Amino acid sequence: MSAVPTLPIAEIWVYLSGNPLFALFLTLGAYQLGTWVYEKTHRHPLANPVAIAVLLVAATLQVIGLPYAKYFEGAQFVHFLLGTATVALAVPIYQGYAMLRRRALALGVALACGALTSIVSAVIIARMLGADDALVTPLYAKSVTAPIAMGVAERIGASPTLTAVYALVTGILGAALGRFVLDAVGSRAWWQRGFALGAAAHGIGTSRAFSVHVEAGTYASLAMGLHGVLGALMVPLVYRWVAG
Amino acid sequence: MPHNGAMHIVPGLLLILLFQGLGDLASRFLLPMLPGPVIGLVLLFTFLLVRGRVPVALGTVSGALMNNLGLLFVPAASGVVLFLPQMAAHAWALGVALIASVALTIAVTALVLRALAPRDEAAPPAQEKHP
Repeated sequence: MSAVPTLPIAEIWVYLSGNPLFALFLTLGAYQLGTWVYEKTHRHPLANPVAIAVLLVAATLQVIGLPYAKYFEGAQFVHFLLGTATVALAVPIYQGYAMLRRRALALGVALACGALTSIVSAVIIARMLGADDALVTPLYAKSVTAPIAMGVAERIGASPTLTAVYALVTGILGAALGRFVLDAVGSRAWWQRGFALGAAAHGIGTSRAFSVHVEAGTYASLAMGLHGVLGALMVPLVYRWVAG
Repeated sequence: MPHNGAMHIVPGLLLILLFQGLGDLASRFLLPMLPGPVIGLVLLFTFLLVRGRVPVALGTVSGALMNNLGLLFVPAASGVVLFLPQMAAHAWALGVALIASVALTIAVTALVLRALAPRDEAAPPAQEKHP
């Protein structure tokens, strides 16, 4: 027996990687790092903290060879709160309700048109360019806020993971391109610009809208919440209608 | 005992979990077409309408969840590693579909809003003063 016992690195590693703490630490650490980069780049829409966190987690899993299922066992404690956060969306919707009533017709019709455009355009374009069904079906709920989109995805037989990824990419693209599209169609009122951004790009679009103008942000969060509820009703119907 | 920030969140969290539970039950036994949390959202919204204001604790918890919504879908979205080969093969189709679709959605929503905006707001100020 040697005087200095060698550390059983392999055993420690096996213990740590099977412990939920590791997955939680990785998830929160990656998100914290993403947030830090986002702030350092003065909140550039392409330096989205969630995208950075997902890339970091995915890369870490690949490098250390931890199976995704194993990681998720630990990270499910964070994942569980998605449902809780969905319920909590009632609060911003309620707070926007006073404004909603005055402009109810315009907001409701615009949201319905936007929601339908989001589904139909994405599905048609992806199909025309040859993407297969497993990749196309998760596109249906991509403009719906991710926690609701993933619940809806399960009901139409789409992968919740791909739905979350599309929702994330949609949010980032919407936040980055929104300004140019809105200028191109000559939209000027803050409430209209914010609502359009929230309807198309849910949470990420909403935080973008808030960073530009408070009224735009308030309307964006209203659009995100309403699109969540509308999407839960509409996506399965449209899916059945399109899929025949 | 004085209320501090930490004490404040428990009643808010309880309220949300209560409605989440009710939503899950309703989804299982009454409305299987809707996800439980969405039913919970509608029930909590109805509760707030009846109550007429947002309880402080609920506002605190909901604010914290909304501010960190992105964190909550990191575990699920990280599953993208399982789909990378498939997505890489159709990267072009998916990229074009996602970019075009989000741009069209923003444009259509904004245009419909402008067309339907309440008359008094749609009219530019110069026309309001028109004799």
